[in-house]
Amino acid sequence: MSSKQGVLHLEKGPMQTKKSLSMPIWLKALIALLPALFFLLVFTIFPIFNTAFIAFVKDFYFQSGTGSFALASYLRQLDMHNNPDWWREYFAHIDPDIIFLQPVKPIIGFANFAYVLKDPLFRNALVNTAILTIISVPLTIMISLLLAVSLNSIKPLRATYQTIFFLPYVTNGIALGMVFNTIFSHEVGGIMNQLIQAFGGRPISWIRPLWSPAGTIPLSKFSLGFAITVQSIWSGLAFKILVFMAGLASIDKQYYDAARIDGSNRSTIFRRITVPLLSPQILYITITSFIGAFKAYQSVISIVGGGPIHFGGENRTMWITVVGYIYMNRNVEKNIPLAAAGSVVLLIVILFITLIQMQVSKKRVHY
Amino acid sequence: MEVRLDNLSKHFPGVKGAPTVKAVDQMNFTIPDGKLVGLLGPSGCGKSTTLYMIAGLHKPTAGKIWFGDRDVTEVPPENRGIGLVFQNYALYPHFTVRQNITFPLENVRPKLEKTEMEQIAQEVANLVDIGNLLDRLPKQLSGGQQQRVAIARALSKRPQVLLLDEPLSNLDARLRLQTREEIRRIQRDTKVTTIFVTHDQEEAMSISDFIVVMRRGVVHQIDAPQTVYEEPVNLFVAKFLGSPAINIFDGELKNGKVLLHGNVYHEGLKSKGKFDYFDERIYDVAVEGGYNGTKADYFASLGVDYVEEEPEVKEEPEKKTFKEKVSDLFGKINPKKKQKFVPRIIEGEVNLESIYEAVVGGGYRYTYADFEEEVGKFIVEAGVNRDVKIGVRPEAFTLDKNDNPAIDVEVLYIEHIGRDITIVANVVGQKHRIRVIIPAEERHKVKGKVIKVYPKRFYLFDIDGSRIL
Repeated sequence: MSSKQGVLHLEKGPMQTKKSLSMPIWLKALIALLPALFFLLVFTIFPIFNTAFIAFVKDFYFQSGTGSFALASYLRQLDMHNNPDWWREYFAHIDPDIIFLQPVKPIIGFANFAYVLKDPLFRNALVNTAILTIISVPLTIMISLLLAVSLNSIKPLRATYQTIFFLPYVTNGIALGMVFNTIFSHEVGGIMNQLIQAFGGRPISWIRPLWSPAGTIPLSKFSLGFAITVQSIWSGLAFKILVFMAGLASIDKQYYDAARIDGSNRSTIFRRITVPLLSPQILYITITSFIGAFKAYQSVISIVGGGPIHFGGENRTMWITVVGYIYMNRNVEKNIPLAAAGSVVLLIVILFITLIQMQVSKKRVHY
Repeated sequence: MEVRLDNLSKHFPGVKGAPTVKAVDQMNFTIPDGKLVGLLGPSGCGKSTTLYMIAGLHKPTAGKIWFGDRDVTEVPPENRGIGLVFQNYALYPHFTVRQNITFPLENVRPKLEKTEMEQIAQEVANLVDIGNLLDRLPKQLSGGQQQRVAIARALSKRPQVLLLDEPLSNLDARLRLQTREEIRRIQRDTKVTTIFVTHDQEEAMSISDFIVVMRRGVVHQIDAPQTVYEEPVNLFVAKFLGSPAINIFDGELKNGKVLLHGNVYHEGLKSKGKFDYFDERIYDVAVEGGYNGTKADYFASLGVDYVEEEPEVKEEPEKKTFKEKVSDLFGKINPKKKQKFVPRIIEGEVNLESIYEAVVGGGYRYTYADFEEEVGKFIVEAGVNRDVKIGVRPEAFTLDKNDNPAIDVEVLYIEHIGRDITIVANVVGQKHRIRVIIPAEERHKVKGKVIKVYPKRFYLFDIDGSRIL
């Protein structure tokens, strides 16, 4: 009664919002996605197919004038092989100084894979990578989970500890490797060796053979592997702690109150409540860690510190990894088909492991 | 198990220099064994904090908690013998119903056999009527079923005290009704002392044996639901209970008369916008020459006024109106007891002694000194003219003409809820909105825009909210 009548002017009909451009929704979506799609195509999808193609061609050479298009290179190489006379004339016409050598016929098949899989160096790389992965991934997940739970349960200095544990994430990997290189230094002054000596042990050759008056201590695969594993575990903690802390924060506190009233002790709560409720994060971290560990390369060369293809040991291949093998063939040996075949094998291995994890997770992960 | 809170307080430190938050302050009450008690109050009144202190999840700042004759203040929650049902149930999502119920049993020492645990799970599940759902996951259950699982889990260790935190707030209206009956039934069957927290007065009123009304960490009233409703100790309790809420008017206490403020138009009285009608009402209850046959609480609500013509009313505070003395006696000394009480007829001079003889001599265990102090205080207080709040429950109005002057109200709309109707109206000439509940059979009397409503009963509150009458 008291309110003024007709304030809304209902007789004018409902108010209209601005008319939207008559453009189908998929077109709008496409326009918005275009920049991202462009870069994805150029830098991710195209290289995958290019690499896969190269991996299947035996005696493949990149032909100048074809850019990075493996298919074009292949066709040109094939043509050079089939019509050498025409090409000889062609080069003579372009520049008489270029001597035309008839290239080997490129053959599509599994020859590269056969070579790579038979290559003892590649097998060595595969075994090394598997060892590093199997040791470092479970350890780093367990340690980061425990650290995250501990960090979550303390109040004072939590931010400080979080910062400390997060530092490796914002630090350059090579720099981290250099730090560990110093810790495990082959010099007598290396911190690790000093510690061992302080406790009365004998110094160990961690990264390079250690010279001592009693005679050179040989470098064992185990000691270098230990250094690499410690470093990769430590540098991998930061991100995992971050994800687990976020996961812990999303768990309802009432579950813990309920568990306390039920009289569960800390370990029961951790095993029966925290881990199952954190299982989505654990799955995510496990998959990404496995993928990351299989791509290990930087962690090895940074700690060995002898350049991009020095993987330790006398013949420089002690802890060569799959990515190291690929890099070596791609950039040093210039045997691109082998590098491509190695990449495809790595892809298949990672895909296979991920699929197994996804299958296992169906029973173990509670969303 | 009797639960006793002894000066229980919980203070949270203020953040960044803010003053300390007194979530619960100096709380005292005893919950008798086997009763269902509702902690009722608006959000943030400290009722959940109290519950969690009883559970042992929060540590009290001061005070003690007793379970029977056992001091459990320092006892960890798992050893208190309690079951707690959380607001959002906190069922472990990765456990089946069975595992959820047996999980508390896994920590029992001496260890239980697996078959024994299964058997207990089945028994408790049957008790709450979910015996056929034991192998499901919580997410496969409806809200009501999840609630039952939560109760079953809380009951599995045979707790002596069952605590429920807002047990019904996550359920829809129909389910809420069912579940609260279910809670009542389970409580009756198990005879476990039960404390539940709610902000919903209907919930608290419907199933509890006692209600503890709280506000800002302080207990305002502890009583049976009906008593809390009929005899609120202060304005807050009166306003908090009742749906629709009590109607509050500004008023004045003057010369022993209650005046309702506002420019209420009334033909019979032209008292400069102020209008004294409530004191008139008294004649109805009191039989001329005495007040036999009337209920004590009726007096307390209405008061009696015999001494209108007494010449010394204004000069002599000791010779205050009889109404005030009697009403004070019932209103202040014993406002909660609802007893049938027949006072003697007073003959001769009306004074303190004679009233004492009449009412206190009739069975109350108050000494004359207590009586004098109480009544005397009121007489002194009443001698001062002061502003008051007048509360009239919506159902305390009538449409029948009686000796009371009416309040003219302008009907805005009528709510039809169930059988009775609620008239939502503005007091004529004011913005003051009131609600009046009228029984369905009197509906035909509501005609036209402006109607007259007559208050039958009222409460009188001080400006600070404490109850006077």
